[in-house]
Amino acid sequence: MNVPRFFLPVLVIAALFGGYALRTSFTQPTAQASFGGEGSETLVCTVEGLKCKGTAGFFMKLYEGRPGIASIETFATEHRAVFTYDPSLVTPSDIRAIMEAPIPLRDGREVQVFRCAEMD
Amino acid sequence: MKTRVLRYALLGAVLVSVIYLALGFGSRSFEAYCPFGGMEALWGLFQTREFTCALGPLNLSMFLAVLGLAFVAKKAFCGWACPIGFLSELAARLGGLFRKGARRPGPRLNERLKLLRYAALVVSLYFTYRLGELVLRGFDPFYIIFSGFGHGTLGWITYATLGVLVLGSLAVPMFFCRYLCPLGATLDPFSRLGFVKIVRNRELCTACGDCGAACPHDIRPQEMDAVRSRDCTNCLECVDACPEKGSLTLRATL
Repeated sequence: MNVPRFFLPVLVIAALFGGYALRTSFTQPTAQASFGGEGSETLVCTVEGLKCKGTAGFFMKLYEGRPGIASIETFATEHRAVFTYDPSLVTPSDIRAIMEAPIPLRDGREVQVFRCAEMD
Repeated sequence: MKTRVLRYALLGAVLVSVIYLALGFGSRSFEAYCPFGGMEALWGLFQTREFTCALGPLNLSMFLAVLGLAFVAKKAFCGWACPIGFLSELAARLGGLFRKGARRPGPRLNERLKLLRYAALVVSLYFTYRLGELVLRGFDPFYIIFSGFGHGTLGWITYATLGVLVLGSLAVPMFFCRYLCPLGATLDPFSRLGFVKIVRNRELCTACGDCGAACPHDIRPQEMDAVRSRDCTNCLECVDACPEKGSLTLRATL
């Protein structure tokens, strides 16, 4: 069967858009951690500075041992973190303050690594 | 209208989109769209159900889409959408490598050098799976060019790599695609099965060789009934170059 030439670009464009549309079927976190405890509320943050598995691991360390944080899932390519927390022990503004707190460097300077661009 | 105009329009649109993302516009990094990233993410997903390094679901879905495309239309992604393929082709045109009579590597040497892309595939998957990081970014032209020698590049090693690729592209058409592209190596078996391919009409063909001279991958359609080669990107340069109308046609056939 003969195929018209314009079939190829149409097929390629369909594949690219199809691939883009299909992405939600494969959503898996870049890193995830459970810290124990019960969490009844969920907070979704868009986090500037969350770029890869390394930064995701560092990000989650900031919340280790913090009361009220039950679990965190990070999605680096979407720069997104999902917190499950106990609202009687921690508030969304506490969670934001922890991520935005300046980190001390070895040379004594402090840098802000993460910034919460959006909370939901 | 020559097919090349249409093809370059699509390739140009993809290139502009990647540059747009690389400049920091858009919600994702340009790396998130790389189909080979999907291949690199497989092992991490299989082991821990987590994505490796800066890879994400879009890499995987693009990889599957490109794989599906190869099943239908061979390496049409490479010929119609890949920005690195586009830059390589422009470099080859700049170097006059598609002129009839331009020097090309001999068939035996060409076939042997193509094995390098399987080595590139094995090495890149081995290190990514073993270390859980995209440690070979410094050798990846897509990352080097569009990140502007960003995080993870390796100083002079990266400059030397890019230098070799540029010089190679000016000497051999589609140098990186032919000999070093790990995505191309991944698509090879699927591309062989692709059923939309170029078919030659023996009765009309005069075996002038214009099609073979126009092919960026040195395939010789004048010597076959149907182009089943794993290297064919369905770019249709051979069809455009053919002086006998109807001698080479795009067909859906097994």
